[in-house]
Amino acid sequence: MSSKDDEYDYLFKVVLIGDSGVGKSNLLSRFTRNEFNLESKSTIGVEFATRSIQVDGKTIKAQIWDTAGQERYRAITAAYYRGAVGALLVYDIAKHLTYENVERWLRELRDHADQNIVIMLVGNKSDLRHLRAVLTEEAKAFAERNGLSFIETSALDSTNVDLAFQNILTEIYRIVSQKQIRDPPEGDTIRPQNVEPIDVKPTMNSDSVRKQCCQ
Amino acid sequence: MMEGDHDRNSFWKKNIKNVPGRPSPKREARSNSSSSKTKPQGSTSFQDFQASVSDAWDLEDDEFCTGLKNTKISKKVSQSAALNVLNTHRSSTETRKSSNENLSDTSTTQIIIPHAELVRISRIPGRPLQMHCANPPQEEDSESKLERFEVILANTLTLQDLCKLSWSGIPVKVRGITWRLLSGYLPTNLERRDGVLERKRQDYWTLVEKYYYAEHDEINRDIQHQISIDVPRMNPTIVLFQQKTVQIMFERILFIWSSRRPASGYVQGINDLVTPFFVVFLQEFIPDNKPFETFTIDKLSEEQRKIIEADSFWCLSKFVDGIQDNYIFAQIGIQKKVLQLEELIRRVDETLHKHLKQHNVSYLQFSFRWLNNLLTRELPLRCTIRLWDTYLSENDCFPTFQLYVCAAFLLYWKDDLMRQRDFQGLLLLLQNLPTQSWTSSQISLLVAEAYKLKVMFADAPNHLACNES
Repeated sequence: MSSKDDEYDYLFKVVLIGDSGVGKSNLLSRFTRNEFNLESKSTIGVEFATRSIQVDGKTIKAQIWDTAGQERYRAITAAYYRGAVGALLVYDIAKHLTYENVERWLRELRDHADQNIVIMLVGNKSDLRHLRAVLTEEAKAFAERNGLSFIETSALDSTNVDLAFQNILTEIYRIVSQKQIRDPPEGDTIRPQNVEPIDVKPTMNSDSVRKQCCQ
Repeated sequence: MMEGDHDRNSFWKKNIKNVPGRPSPKREARSNSSSSKTKPQGSTSFQDFQASVSDAWDLEDDEFCTGLKNTKISKKVSQSAALNVLNTHRSSTETRKSSNENLSDTSTTQIIIPHAELVRISRIPGRPLQMHCANPPQEEDSESKLERFEVILANTLTLQDLCKLSWSGIPVKVRGITWRLLSGYLPTNLERRDGVLERKRQDYWTLVEKYYYAEHDEINRDIQHQISIDVPRMNPTIVLFQQKTVQIMFERILFIWSSRRPASGYVQGINDLVTPFFVVFLQEFIPDNKPFETFTIDKLSEEQRKIIEADSFWCLSKFVDGIQDNYIFAQIGIQKKVLQLEELIRRVDETLHKHLKQHNVSYLQFSFRWLNNLLTRELPLRCTIRLWDTYLSENDCFPTFQLYVCAAFLLYWKDDLMRQRDFQGLLLLLQNLPTQSWTSSQISLLVAEAYKLKVMFADAPNHLACNES
């Protein structure tokens, strides 16, 4: 693409996850192309888009992977979690079930993503005020309890979409720059076909019977 | 990489087994477990059909395959057959320089086979039909083609003849009936057709009564929920699919299909596979060849709509049965095919392969959707329908053939891809290939290329494999 896009200081891989139909693809198209389709086709497997933003005078290139929401695709999509430094976990504020499933998605990330991944809980479709089924306060409290940042967005009317990405990318940038770690060159983090599951067991010395629920 | 090797081996073997007219091993295995329960009437129809026609392929294929396994000449046979075909192609096209160069190496060692032998080989059933390569599919005069279809369809026919004729495209007017026949849904025996159709349509509506309108357990509720999310957003740009009547028809088809296939259930993308059948059967009722895209389905009688729905269901079922491992847990069928595609491209076009690898593009990232949705997402609907003329003509070989279509599709964009300088450019292009203006002539070229690749590589695992260790 254009040479401008080739120049960046940091490259961050971010995944979009959450139930089917919550608006992940539209958040992505709104952020990267400023487009919205009321009836956009379901995502098959994983789709990719990118956009660069400026933070502290640095160019941060976000490589965003939009994943299929359906359970059946989990084996494929989970491969893309590796190397991701950020995740937008999206639910639909008008569908309570998609909010209830947030816990399952968190578990999914714990199992497959890097331990230090920055997670932002995103309540999308905030334009559907009259259909709201998930209270902002409730979601906010949940996010705090779980150490997630939180925002409500509307891909339809653009509310907070840029801000959501800006926030998570800035947060990642702060962490990374504090650690003084230079990001690896382009693409190095994206090799889902070579993924070997890394079994990160918690270094617990006592009985961990409760772990059984996660299988 | 161990796994890759393993897959590669099984791929080549699978090709030999996968011959037209012969039920795939997968299908047999499945019928033991589930289909006897899930298909009260339907499960025997393929056997019925086999018994009802004097299909010479089966016997000869079996003979051929066992022979192939046990004799040492198998490789020579396949290579020489491939060579034969290739030579024909070479005389007409000059496009594939690198393969021709490699070919000249091998031809010196293989050319000694007597002509009579070649002729015999070329007639071996299960080989890709010689006809196709001698005359790469051309846009035949539609009038005369229609006549040929009408003659063949008016009698009890052999599927082989129909496949030959259909491979290069089917006229709209006879596409519906031809697809039913090619799917193995409609018997080739003329006298049995009406009876079978009536019974199967009845069966479908019995299933709908029994399952769709019944109380759903949790699994079925999940299926229905997912379907209801996906159907309204299937083809947002086509008016036909925004009609509530159409959406309900799709929901029923998908629900019945999914709830009876516990191993896969509903998988996003299956909805796109119903679409071509639906449109083709709908077109049978649209007068004056008017565009289906804007047709109002409520103009049809209930009887007509019921036919479209039931026939779409049965043909989808037959069609997807051959690729069910695409949709089971972990989608291993697709993962396997992605590896095969990569292997194939590496051998056919190392430059392109290296270019993709150099920029860290993995085949899974772009070809997963191609395979999961059989290219329906990459092509305009009318092109998909034309492509399926060929898929359905490939019969049980279709799952393999589809791989070659994907390879040909990727190679088609080589120049554009080579111009991309980074990962991002490559992937964005691969996800949004500009096929909007494609017509059936591009599809004809695509399947001809795929056919060429298949002939060169399917039965010749070492062909062009110069860098093998």
